[in-house]
Amino acid sequence: MIKKEPSICEEENYNQLFRNLYEPVTKYIYYKCGSLQQAEDIVQNVFIKLWKLCATVTFSKAKSYIYTACNNLFLNEVAHQKVVLKHQQSVLEHTDYESPDFLIEVDEFRVQLKNAINSLSVKEREVFLLSRIEKKTYKEIAEITGLTVKAIERRMSIALKAIKELLGKHIKI
Amino acid sequence: MNNYETDDTFLGRWISGELSKEERIAFEKTKEFKQFTIINSEAQLLEGPTIDTEAALLKIKQQLYTKPKVIRLKQIMRMASAAIIVISLGLFLNSSKTYTTAIGETQTVTLADGSIINLNANSSVSHKRFFWDTNKGVTLNGEAYFTITKGNGFTVQTSIGIVQVLGTQFNIKDQSTFSLKCFEGEVQLTVADSRKKRYRLTKSMQVNIDENIVQESVFSEQIPDWKNGVSVFKNQSLSIVLDELMNYYPIEFESENINTNRLFSGRFTHDNLKTALQATLVPMGVQYQISNNNETIILSE
Repeated sequence: MIKKEPSICEEENYNQLFRNLYEPVTKYIYYKCGSLQQAEDIVQNVFIKLWKLCATVTFSKAKSYIYTACNNLFLNEVAHQKVVLKHQQSVLEHTDYESPDFLIEVDEFRVQLKNAINSLSVKEREVFLLSRIEKKTYKEIAEITGLTVKAIERRMSIALKAIKELLGKHIKI
Repeated sequence: MNNYETDDTFLGRWISGELSKEERIAFEKTKEFKQFTIINSEAQLLEGPTIDTEAALLKIKQQLYTKPKVIRLKQIMRMASAAIIVISLGLFLNSSKTYTTAIGETQTVTLADGSIINLNANSSVSHKRFFWDTNKGVTLNGEAYFTITKGNGFTVQTSIGIVQVLGTQFNIKDQSTFSLKCFEGEVQLTVADSRKKRYRLTKSMQVNIDENIVQESVFSEQIPDWKNGVSVFKNQSLSIVLDELMNYYPIEFESENINTNRLFSGRFTHDNLKTALQATLVPMGVQYQISNNNETIILSE
């Protein structure tokens, strides 16, 4: 027996998709374009389109449809800006490095880190942030971006090297 | 030369824990290892933007549900206006044109086929505005003289029944009494009651119907008297004469005090009220008094 896929035309299923996907997709587009307003507009437009196409997109295909459609919309209206990243609230108090002496100053280092991330090309930045902030596996990132895992590993390597080049001098060994 | 510099996926694999044991141990010995470790751990402490999913969902729902509503309303409006257009076009095509004369007024109407209707005072005739040729009917209220062009199917709808016509001239008076006079050709009256009695009239024949009493007779005049500006009566009750007077003059009679069943023979003119009153009332021995506003005539013995 083949279990019939839930229909996206059912509002309940649509809502479920939206709640599962809206935040990660919006963040993904944000990491690319750096404008939260633009990212939200893009993703919302895609979800509105999805509702209209609900009969033609199956539930299991919806995720890749949304990522692809958002990506396409993004390509149409690129305006790369710097991403604004925050630190997790709880972090500042307990930075438990074995010997924090080698950091010139934690705050200064973090500002520099954010700058370094912003100086990455969009290709590396999105992979780096999806992996390090969104904690996505390479496999997941490969699905989202449509790249191979090997390409992700490569971009990740480039990103790390570039950040190290920029920040190395701030880290005393 | 370190591995991470020569192998372009090395650092990527280090992050995901995919390095082999040997690779990892060698990497951990390099002086850059600590820098990468700090970068990695610090990066993981960063946070992306805060996103309000529920607010976005609400926003989308509003867009989704307002848009179709507008479309639906538009469709309803479109359908409604289409319906209105169809209905009004139908009504328009089926509408009739009516000619009406006021008291004391006459009018000549020429129809599409060249037929002429002379409409007497206080009367109206109407016909369909379109496609009249396929159904040459008119509806008469009051009195009119018809000069009909030869052709089939001309009919006049009256309160008594239908008058059917071939090329002919005739007069219909459909008021308190009904009178059909044929001046030329032939007409047929079909009385619209249960018996559907038919009367065929040729030249100089007339039918008078007064409360279901039918009189067939002949007459001598060549055109209806009213076309000469007079009304002619022969042994007709005074009430009919009074009704006729009211068709030509804007007056009313107070006739409670007299017997209006007495019969009158004579005529009155249509263009002078005083003369008309004298001609009709004096011979009958009826006294009359014209009220101040010239509208009410009070009759007494």
